Amino acid sequence: MSSLLKKITDNKISRRSFLKATAAGTASLALTGCGSGLASVDGNINALGEEQGEWVSAACWHNCGGRCLNKALVVDGVVVRQKTDDTHEDSPDYPQQRGCLRGRSQRQQVFGADRLKYPMKRKNWQPGGGDKSLRGKDEWERISWDEALTYIADELQRVKKDYGNRSILHIGGWSSRITDISRTLGLFGGYAEYWNTNSFGSWAMTPKKVGFLQLGVWDQTVNDRFDMRNCETVIMLSMNPAWSAMGSSSWHYLQAKKAGAKFIGIDPFYNESYSMLGAEWVPVRPSTDSALLLAIANVLLTKDHPTMNPLIDWDFLNKYCLGFDADHMPEGEDPKGNFKDYVLGTYDGVPKTPAWASEICGVDKVQIEKLALEFRKDKKVAFLCGMASARTTNSDNLPQLIMTIGAMTGHMGKSGHMTGSTMHATSGNGGPALVCAGSNGLPGIANPVDDSINAGEVWDAILTGKYTFTGSGDFTSADQYKSGEQRDIDIHIIYHSGGATLQTSDGMTKGIEAHRKVDLVVSHSQFVTTNSKYADIVLPVTTEWEKVGGFSGGSLVHSGNREMLIMYSQISEPLFEAKSDQWIANELAKKLGLNEKEAFPFDEKQQFFNALASATVVNEDGKTYGPLVTITDADIKELGVTGKPQTGKITYPELKEKGVYQVKRSQGDNYGYIAYEDFVKDPENNPLTSESGKLEIYSRQLAKTVNDMGFSKIQAIPSYIPPVNGYQDTFQDWESKAKGEYPYQVINPHYLRRSHTVFDNVKWLQEAWHNPVFLNTKDAQANGIGNGETVLITSPYGKILRNACLTERVRPGVVALPHGAWVDVDEKTGIDKGGADNILSGQVPTGQGVSGFNTGIAKIEKYSASKLISDVEKPARIVF
Amino acid sequence: MGKLGFYFDMEACIGCRTCQIACKDKNNNKIGVLYRRVRNFETGVYPRPDGFNYSSSCNHCAEAKCVKGCPTGAMHYAEDGTVQHNKDKCIGCKYCIWNCPYGAPQFLEESGIVGKCDSCKSLRDQGENPACVDACIMRCLEFGDLEELKAKHGADLVQELSVLPEANLTEPSVLIKPKSCAMDANPREKEV
Repeated sequence: MSSLLKKITDNKISRRSFLKATAAGTASLALTGCGSGLASVDGNINALGEEQGEWVSAACWHNCGGRCLNKALVVDGVVVRQKTDDTHEDSPDYPQQRGCLRGRSQRQQVFGADRLKYPMKRKNWQPGGGDKSLRGKDEWERISWDEALTYIADELQRVKKDYGNRSILHIGGWSSRITDISRTLGLFGGYAEYWNTNSFGSWAMTPKKVGFLQLGVWDQTVNDRFDMRNCETVIMLSMNPAWSAMGSSSWHYLQAKKAGAKFIGIDPFYNESYSMLGAEWVPVRPSTDSALLLAIANVLLTKDHPTMNPLIDWDFLNKYCLGFDADHMPEGEDPKGNFKDYVLGTYDGVPKTPAWASEICGVDKVQIEKLALEFRKDKKVAFLCGMASARTTNSDNLPQLIMTIGAMTGHMGKSGHMTGSTMHATSGNGGPALVCAGSNGLPGIANPVDDSINAGEVWDAILTGKYTFTGSGDFTSADQYKSGEQRDIDIHIIYHSGGATLQTSDGMTKGIEAHRKVDLVVSHSQFVTTNSKYADIVLPVTTEWEKVGGFSGGSLVHSGNREMLIMYSQISEPLFEAKSDQWIANELAKKLGLNEKEAFPFDEKQQFFNALASATVVNEDGKTYGPLVTITDADIKELGVTGKPQTGKITYPELKEKGVYQVKRSQGDNYGYIAYEDFVKDPENNPLTSESGKLEIYSRQLAKTVNDMGFSKIQAIPSYIPPVNGYQDTFQDWESKAKGEYPYQVINPHYLRRSHTVFDNVKWLQEAWHNPVFLNTKDAQANGIGNGETVLITSPYGKILRNACLTERVRPGVVALPHGAWVDVDEKTGIDKGGADNILSGQVPTGQGVSGFNTGIAKIEKYSASKLISDVEKPARIVF
Repeated sequence: MGKLGFYFDMEACIGCRTCQIACKDKNNNKIGVLYRRVRNFETGVYPRPDGFNYSSSCNHCAEAKCVKGCPTGAMHYAEDGTVQHNKDKCIGCKYCIWNCPYGAPQFLEESGIVGKCDSCKSLRDQGENPACVDACIMRCLEFGDLEELKAKHGADLVQELSVLPEANLTEPSVLIKPKSCAMDANPREKEV
């Protein structure tokens, strides 16, 4: 044991105080050097060690939309403190990559007392399943790695022999193909996949069909952050960067405000972003944005006058779009099917007027008219949206409609004008990556099984043995979105090796039932997450702090802004018996009699080096790219890898010390970005991804693709299709407006206590953010619910409890339940005390396989049986 | 050098609580102990609500009640004028907790004494900023000479809000750039 650790442990820790701390669920520091695992030390460690420590670049790797510089002060292997970017002076033009509260709590997560320490088996599980009904409530038994891997390998062999590889469902978060274990299972003969549209809703497929994407993705149709300062008006639809796009996004929007832009927020929730930006609020009902936007199109058409009131950019529509009016329809299509006549009600007799929309979307018709005029073509307007409005059922035309409004008003392709989704990693700052992460160099391994089950059907598929096959792979796969085909499927193993799918996928109540049906559930995790709670064999995996190091930022998926790349280093040896996912994949390959060298031809250190050597950075011309890192023979020797020296912009030792490489930006530099600039200059030579190469307001391919999949039907033009579980379903009789059993609409805002589900077990964050349910004050009072009181929320699919926060910032009729809380079902009552959003959602596939997280209905009532204790007071889930 | 204190730009604050966590991390505080905390307030009614956040720590007051009321001299003024706390002299009598109108001093159950924001004096002595200042992702917080901060950020800064005690009680060393709604008479505090 090192001297510092000895000093601390001798003076400060007794076994009694350690047990007291862990029993209370207090997050603890790990004394990794002493080999005995986690222990609790008090604040004096700072005074003891700070001066002797070393700041090391530490990973922050979660799916939050940001990628920020995290540094850990490591003293003799103990992390005593964290900090963020201080590698250069900070300014709005050249901002430090500052981390948020979650990243700043990272050591509490990595070294939490609730980290899983050993492989575990559910007591009443045995090969074939044992007592399956006890999943989620059984006791855990510690087992060895050899036992765990032998159980798993034997079950995989048995199920493959008896039922075939397609009876093994492997789930890896947003894609089954991205995990380490997918390589082993691929070599083993394959696995059924799980796919979903994730957070993206109908942005997953629609943009490509209608030409509403740039740089190959849908969230690059917005100009870069410097150009946003040129906007006069910024209209935001269902956005909240303050809670869902960390890093510098909110700060970028503030610069636009300081430059004089006026902000408008269209949303059921007057959130922190709108409040900070001083936005005017348009309180729209959830999942009714299509109706609102159609009425805006109607106002633009009926109020437009070329000289007196120039609202519509006809030149733009005529030159760049297809299907807006009868004169610009695709060849062979009925001219009556155009968008303009639908909006005016020429043939269906229903003009989509503000009065028509107001009944649906709840926005006053005068406010709709006023809002429509804000889009006018003679102002510099940014029409921006997040993804929340598209995480709704029957929303397949919504991205197309947003594009249509932008095209009608000409807010595309020039400075100060922009339209589209700007979200997550790209929020407020479009453009190609200026620093690009490299590749680890591992060759791909194919999955011989073609089955892939949509999130909206996956639990039903396990329970009923039937599902709709719409192609292979995930939502980005070229083989997805095919014609639907009904297939039988007989799942016997669920293998979770990444993600938090039982928690974050639609219809958790059915998901739990499905988990209680199969023969074996395996889960890799660091805590008793929801996936692991309902598993049979749980394998403790390392965090990024315990691995050789890696990269985040640049062009990686889910990986932060375009201007920088972060390189993080190893902070700690693996805790207890935790192993990396890759080690598990390797060892399982051996147990299955496979050649593990085929799965992983070289080790994690070599993979790290390959990524280091292949990272690139933009040259000063803003167009060409060269190697990022200068690597010497000495570096290669020190790393113990195979490679060649190279010359780049920063040496390996400097990158390691700083932890980040950032391109210095300034107004007017060569790195700016105007989306659609090339297309607008020369549409013939820069065709878009749609069938016609134009912006398709009438899209044959979109309609055909969705309709052939078979979940539900849409039109080729944007139209209002009432969502499943939407506003109209809150009535038992729409005509007489008699309310039904579930009179409220539920939305699931992203929440700063966690990144989706990650960090939700961290006590510091539970203390900072209480996770109430947000109710409109009058709605709460009408149901006898006071501020802070416990509310029972019941949907057609499940029941949850939360304490109420009464607010004027949620529109009446809406229940805003924060997304991602870990489920905590009371087995006596069946009620979830954790407040899990997906207990309230069902298995309802529509359109392109969209998960309708923001289309939900519920009733609310005061829960008198007992007051829910706050999450921070709950004991941590410590098994051993 | 003039009086030192914090500047808080409420207009830019998104209430994220990164400052609160950075403070917690710097001081290794247990659950229940917050040397800096962020509170969330709401004003107005639907459909025109508004809200503001207030991030606060020890205000290092010029007329600090905690210093005056401390029977052992544990609470004292440092040479730079900030209010500091000497652990070795503290007997855990909690007089400072009762006397401080801002709720800044906190009782530490484990050690039986008090703790509070020391404006990260150890960091400042090395030329760095307090942890909360360098953590803020909206750059709302600064620490420095109050006269210089006033010159930098304009004249419309305040030292009290309707949710705070009157400034003349303790002469807090804090400058707030308020949102206009924060001057409302009756903001409602929300537990978010």
